[in-house]
Amino acid sequence: MLMVDTTKNTMVHTTWGTRSAKPVQPLVAAKLISKAKRPLLVVGSEILESDVLSKAIALGKKGLQIAATGHSIQGFKNQEVNAKYINIHFLAHYLSDKNWKGLDGNGSYDLLIFLGHKLYYMDQVLSGIKNFTDIKTLAIDRRYSQNADMSFGNLKPEDHLAALDELIANI
Amino acid sequence: MNKISTGKFSIEDLENVQITINNIVGAIETKAEEEGIEIGPTPKPGISALREWDYKLLSRYQPVYTPVCDQCCYCTFGKCDLGGNKEGACGINMAAHQAREFLLRVITGAAAHSGHGRHILHHLIEIHGRDHPIDVGPSNLLAPNTQLVTGIIPKTLGDLETVMDYVEEQLTQLLATIHMGQEGSALDFESKALHGGMLDHVGMEVSDIAQVSCMGMPKSDPETPLAEIGMGCIDSTKPVLLVIGHNVAGVTYIMDYMKEHNLEDKIELAGLCCTAIDMTRYKTDKRSQPRAKVIGTLAKELKMIRSAAPDVIVVDEQCVRADVLDEAKRLFIPVITTNEKIMYGLPNRSNDSADRIIEDLSSGKEAGALILDFDLLGEVAPRLAMKMAPIREAKGIKSLPSEEEMKTLTAACVQCGACEVVCPNNLPIMNAMKAAVEGDLTKFEKLHDHCIACGRCDPVCPKDIPILNVIEKAAQKVIREEKGKMRAGRGQISDPEIREEGVNLVMGTTPGIVAMVGCSNYPEGTKDLYTVANEMLQRNYIVVMSGCSAMDLGMYKDEDGQTLYEKYPAKFLAGNLINVGSCVSNSHITGTAIKVAAIFAQRNITGNYEEIADYIMNRIGAVGVAWGAYSQKASSIATGCNRLGIPVIVGPHGSKYRRALIGRPYNEQDWKVYDARNGEEMPIPASPEFLLTTAETIEELMPMIAKNCIRPSDNNMGRMIKLTHYIELSQKYLGHMPEDWYKFVRTETDLPLAKREELLKILEQEHGWEIDWKRKKIISGPIMKMDVSAQPTNVKRLCKESVC
Repeated sequence: MLMVDTTKNTMVHTTWGTRSAKPVQPLVAAKLISKAKRPLLVVGSEILESDVLSKAIALGKKGLQIAATGHSIQGFKNQEVNAKYINIHFLAHYLSDKNWKGLDGNGSYDLLIFLGHKLYYMDQVLSGIKNFTDIKTLAIDRRYSQNADMSFGNLKPEDHLAALDELIANI
Repeated sequence: MNKISTGKFSIEDLENVQITINNIVGAIETKAEEEGIEIGPTPKPGISALREWDYKLLSRYQPVYTPVCDQCCYCTFGKCDLGGNKEGACGINMAAHQAREFLLRVITGAAAHSGHGRHILHHLIEIHGRDHPIDVGPSNLLAPNTQLVTGIIPKTLGDLETVMDYVEEQLTQLLATIHMGQEGSALDFESKALHGGMLDHVGMEVSDIAQVSCMGMPKSDPETPLAEIGMGCIDSTKPVLLVIGHNVAGVTYIMDYMKEHNLEDKIELAGLCCTAIDMTRYKTDKRSQPRAKVIGTLAKELKMIRSAAPDVIVVDEQCVRADVLDEAKRLFIPVITTNEKIMYGLPNRSNDSADRIIEDLSSGKEAGALILDFDLLGEVAPRLAMKMAPIREAKGIKSLPSEEEMKTLTAACVQCGACEVVCPNNLPIMNAMKAAVEGDLTKFEKLHDHCIACGRCDPVCPKDIPILNVIEKAAQKVIREEKGKMRAGRGQISDPEIREEGVNLVMGTTPGIVAMVGCSNYPEGTKDLYTVANEMLQRNYIVVMSGCSAMDLGMYKDEDGQTLYEKYPAKFLAGNLINVGSCVSNSHITGTAIKVAAIFAQRNITGNYEEIADYIMNRIGAVGVAWGAYSQKASSIATGCNRLGIPVIVGPHGSKYRRALIGRPYNEQDWKVYDARNGEEMPIPASPEFLLTTAETIEELMPMIAKNCIRPSDNNMGRMIKLTHYIELSQKYLGHMPEDWYKFVRTETDLPLAKREELLKILEQEHGWEIDWKRKKIISGPIMKMDVSAQPTNVKRLCKESVC
């Protein structure tokens, strides 16, 4: 059953180009993650300021490898998830290198899931990935992120939490 | 044949004829030759002269492009969609276009500083003459950037004109490359950007040493006076004369007029942006109290105007809002523009009488005036402020809502979120509105510090709530308490100071220089600067401030009520806090690194850019931090540092500069240099691991600073100190032991003393290093050897046994 419609509000401040993120429902996002061979959850420091941290931990416990950017690594201490610190700009750079071995030494990634970021910063990083790599990207923050391949729309905080619950339940 | 010299000459038998020779082509070079000064291989380099050096940098630090827009709209072939690195109609692809976009930012910034430099130089030569000596303090090396780049050793203001000729010619050539078509290589655009950044530091240096030499500004003084700073320090019971901009030339006339006419106690003279900083430097070389107050940065411009406190606004150039006149007009504040870069469509009254201008502006007949004659400006602005204050008071002009209006306005919010979408920081305005309805203003008070006062929220509100005014009104209590101290800019670091501290920097026993520069587009408010500077000062780094960062740092106090400027001494020594001055004083930061090479290492710097950049990159642990960088000038300053091998970290908004330069530490072959003693390759630590990058938060920033101060030349003590800070800051702010710490270890003496045994165990168990536990020594494991006499260099020709 659909709990929250995460595709309604895709208002953006300015346009970035001709290709915009496809608004995505939590169930579809969950399927994308489940089907990916090498997904990476990229978590930003905003996660520490909100109730979303528990959702990121839950995703980590589902087996998703976590790239903890900024100082978000603090939130994963003693949580028994596979999280490693990396600067997000460095990550964007390494992802453009086909020889990069990934955070765990097992190779690069085929799907990046973004959560807990400053919108303007994440959108710049996504712009780099969009234009210079073939890696698919999914933004599940509460603001529509135009440069991802797929993104939630703009959501109220409580709707965002409900959408993440739905996503997690379906992985 | 007799040699012609500069000067004024009369010709015999010809009455009333005088010939003036201002400049002789090649005269400075000839003089240097006569004085036996060795000129390096690249005096006045053209665009391609340092290309090989740039390519060396760019092979280790690759460009990372993050386009702001996927399209190119430079010519009428387009607009072209370059998404996915496609080519446009002219053949340029996304990577090259982004490199071109970055180049454009850099040369725009460089042109802003150099335009400022030319303006102030022209003005000062008109007053003092071309032969006025350059005097920047107790130094023989007067203009390190200039000497390094151009080979010119300037001694007078006139010499600086030749320097500016070179800078302007090169900037024109660089601007020409922006034109459609032509260059198709991203890397060559990058090389051009590095060239532009280098020129910027020359242009800035000319600006600052000219004004330091002529305007009574402090000359390498470690004990400059403290100036008052903050919106709360403005006494609006007096007429308020507000000055905004970056070029203090015209404002000095206002200051002199006020002094001559005993108006200093009668008018509140306050400044925003770098003009404010330079006002506090003007005629304070004898350590007298600054004659003006500083309000703050661009982020305070709209807030200050909308407070309705100013009675007159004077603007000059650079970081000044484009809507100052419109905003001021609404509050009956006359605006005087004083520089051709900003004229706001105002009538030119430069040839009018002061009385007529004052009459027209005070009656409201005209909203403002362009006054390019500084004598006239000096008289009009203070007299007008005196006249406007009672008029505006009588009119009861106010801008901010009343308490009652606040309640109605906040209750009108429908929580649509449009303001949050357009806010550059996506600030939680909806929540603050909701809380304010319930009488809680604390959320708005917090927003006030995070808000950069851009005003983008106002026009999108469907209920026409003047959101910025609501924020400011709600934060009145906080604003009243905004009172701090800023140390007036001291100018250069002097030669004797370099002699004292240079060795500690090269050996690493002073863990590094942290240069906190740039603008006020911070991700999380202004206090972050205080937190970072305080942490690094406690750890004995030399913290150097300039421009807007220098101002914002002075806004916070510790539990004893002291700002960091009051708490820490301002010498060029470990654990000291220095304010070099305004935006153009940033050249003194790179100048310091150049001076270390010249004075401590006795390297020839004249026209010898590559060798000196190579020296700095391998030996001087300096990191630039432009946490709130927004302007094109910040990108050119950073790029000038980068060409010298100095890494720079910008805040998350800096990702909108479109490109970073980041290395790949996992590629071992990228981290090798030559040993200049024999030309053999030697591995080095991956530090700096970038030349330009962003950090997300200050918690991430601080360990990054410490790590990227590590250099190949560190001795054991230096490496131990730097590694200790890297590990401790990672543990303190990220809550973990950094994964790569062991890669910086060459011998057991590089290890932090207090943790040596514990770390040796980790090296043995987790990394397979062989340890002699009896002697507590590392037997095998490290990739790098410790060799105190190694001479790391990236430039093969500098090696003794070079095959080239």
